[in-house]
Amino acid sequence: MWSFYFHELMRSMPFFLKGVWMTIAVAGLSLVFGTIIGFIAGILRAGRNKPARFIVGAWVDLIRGTPFLVQVFIIFFILPGIGIELEAFPAAVIALTNLTASFICEIVAGGIIAVPTGQREAATSAGLSYYQQLRFIVLPQAMRTIMPPLVGQYVLLVKDSSVVSAIGVVDITRVGWLTVQRVPEGLMVFGLVGLLYFAICYPLINLSGFLERRMTVASTRL
Amino acid sequence: MISFKNVNKWYGDLHVLNKIDLEVAQGEVVVVCGPSGSGKSTLIRCINRLEPIQEGELIVDGMMVHDKKTNMTKVRAEIGFVFQSFNLYPHMTALENTTIAPIKVRNVSKAEAEKLGREMLTRVGLEDRIEHYPTQLSGGQQQRVAIARGLSMKPKIMLFDEPTSALDPEMIHEVLDVMRDLAKEGMTMMAVTHEMGFAREVASRVVFMDEGKIIEMAPPNDFFTNPQTDRGKYFLKSILTH
Repeated sequence: MWSFYFHELMRSMPFFLKGVWMTIAVAGLSLVFGTIIGFIAGILRAGRNKPARFIVGAWVDLIRGTPFLVQVFIIFFILPGIGIELEAFPAAVIALTNLTASFICEIVAGGIIAVPTGQREAATSAGLSYYQQLRFIVLPQAMRTIMPPLVGQYVLLVKDSSVVSAIGVVDITRVGWLTVQRVPEGLMVFGLVGLLYFAICYPLINLSGFLERRMTVASTRL
Repeated sequence: MISFKNVNKWYGDLHVLNKIDLEVAQGEVVVVCGPSGSGKSTLIRCINRLEPIQEGELIVDGMMVHDKKTNMTKVRAEIGFVFQSFNLYPHMTALENTTIAPIKVRNVSKAEAEKLGREMLTRVGLEDRIEHYPTQLSGGQQQRVAIARGLSMKPKIMLFDEPTSALDPEMIHEVLDVMRDLAKEGMTMMAVTHEMGFAREVASRVVFMDEGKIIEMAPPNDFFTNPQTDRGKYFLKSILTH
């Protein structure tokens, strides 16, 4: 029986690969948009403008304090109630981007705050403006603190993306659910699901080392 | 050049600068000393508005630093500031540390800024360390890069906040040598320092502060040999006997 199910599972591989592609698409888009928005939010969160800091902080707390599944449902099922109809894929990307951005915001803000104040004082004394300081002095140094948790967040993003299967996005997880109805060997099917997620996450974990070497700046043996 | 008129500053309830009146003329070298917490660092940090003042007038190079509407970029371009903890940009080479401000603030071309940076680094004795990063330099070398960085904006005033306090004793003289040369070339300087030998050699005046007030002000020889106040006498006794 086991070998029959295994055979059936192998026949489903094309379906699984489509799921892999869908997971990469959802996670990939959310990674790009989430990073851009997250960095902007993080800069505001660590910035001079008190109202901006407060609003961004409130948004972050809200996202981090509610279950992601609930956020996905709200965007997909509740928004149509106020006139915003979304298909599953865009809703998924929006929800995941939102989630990722809020976490990256805190990572970036933390990195910026961690740069010693003496650096800003030296830059201020030289006549550099606030944004010149941020761009040339603070952010380059902050990147060293930001990189490891940032890539860690990307790994979490890929794993969290499995939640969007709940609104019908046909990602690896949903393919797993659909397949297990024909191949009732849970361990086998979801073992494959886990393996496929691992195959995506593992290179990301290794990418962390590569990016850290390339992006962060020379010998900061502080 | 620098004019404090009845300046007052508080940190909450702490009266950290108390009715400060001080005039520094062009080409003068003023050494500020005093016990810890006397307000001496705060005094010079107000000059380029690293710290704001609450009352009084502070006029630097003709510009009203106390006025919130003043464009501080212009003022700061004329002032070089050297910190106790160097504060070099660790992700930039010595040369890049000196060129970034001229390029971004004075809009000088990269080639010109590098030429000037090399000149300044040579002037402080570091022509063979131009491409080094701060972590590859000793404390004394880092502080000299910091001075070169300040000079590369061609400022009218150089401010020093305890420039040698964080250095190993053997490295202090290399920094003081640079400062001495600067003074002899006519740079307007204000330095918070306990290096009395330096003060005696090049300072036109020593300003002694305690608890936010200027207690004594006199040419170095007068202050060191014949302090007028009890506080001054006590201070000199405690720093000259160890």
